[in-house]
Amino acid sequence: MGLDLVSELRATLERAGELVRVVETNLRGASEGSEGASSDERVAELERRLATAESDVKELASRLVDSEHQGGRLMNLYVATYQLHATLDPAEVQATIAEIAINLLGAHQFVLLLRRDEEGEGYEIALLEGMYDGVIPIYDGETYRGGDPMVDQTLKDGVLRLGPTGESQALAAVPLRVQNDIVGALVVLKLLDHKPILRAEDRDLLDLLSAHAASAMFAARLFATKDRKLRTLESLVKLARGE
Amino acid sequence: MQPRKVLVVDDSKLMHKMYEVMLRQYPLVYALDGRQALDRLREHADIDLVLLDINMPNMNGLEFLAELRADGARPDLTVVIISTEGREEDTARGLEAGADAYIKKPFHSEEILDVIQRLEAKGSAA
Repeated sequence: MGLDLVSELRATLERAGELVRVVETNLRGASEGSEGASSDERVAELERRLATAESDVKELASRLVDSEHQGGRLMNLYVATYQLHATLDPAEVQATIAEIAINLLGAHQFVLLLRRDEEGEGYEIALLEGMYDGVIPIYDGETYRGGDPMVDQTLKDGVLRLGPTGESQALAAVPLRVQNDIVGALVVLKLLDHKPILRAEDRDLLDLLSAHAASAMFAARLFATKDRKLRTLESLVKLARGE
Repeated sequence: MQPRKVLVVDDSKLMHKMYEVMLRQYPLVYALDGRQALDRLREHADIDLVLLDINMPNMNGLEFLAELRADGARPDLTVVIISTEGREEDTARGLEAGADAYIKKPFHSEEILDVIQRLEAKGSAA
């Protein structure tokens, strides 16, 4: 549908351009052959139509650019969703989350936190990327036990937050949800050098990650667990049969 | 003149899917690193556009470009670097290494299509 809209806008733009050319030709002809007040009126009318057509062309061009950007954003969302759910290998899902953060969001430093099954055991640091100059202390090791107020609040209430704030250096704390359960967070700490800030259009991608990253990870881990159990059972059966 | 075939060189499967959707009008070939990319070029003589990432295992994008240009067998090949390395010196290094254009990730799809159109127009004029 997006592509149809873009095609329609392009066709309208071409027609408007054609109208501008016709009006310009008529105007030139009217100026060259004009005599008397009626010709002046005709020229004035043509000039008004020309100005209107030029204004329409500019507006259509602007709408075309907006549509192309919108199409691009939708494409990013489609590809991100597709790739997250394209595999049941937990390591590949994790790699996809990292690829989305780096290639589509422009994140340079980020951390993926996943809730541990045991109560009070903090959050597993499942992924840590971009800390080449030294790991930030609260993310050092295998477990995050709190320390960034913005991140802690997001882990508690599941609200996506953007920073940095006076208390937190994180640029974004993205809750990861499986249905209504908050199972972790993606914390963006730094962007690539050539991307100074998160843009309004990045919000859609962050919302997508919030909704889909955790469910993809959850499904993959569940499958891996069941698959391991199945293989174990199959081995036991074979052993029992003396194979 | 449109590219006959496009070689995508990137270790990210997400980016492979992205190009598959964005460039569905072109036949695409994929490689996960520079070494695979050189193999693909040998296998597909009709590749005339390469979309090249920089940071890849085994052989990175700049190493691939150096080997490609040193070889001299494909002077007609158009190479566009598409990378997260976005500082000015990175762009300069890529263009000095022989790339025809440099696009920073994350990018808008129009940037890729604009570059392809400009390079096509340049190729037609030549």
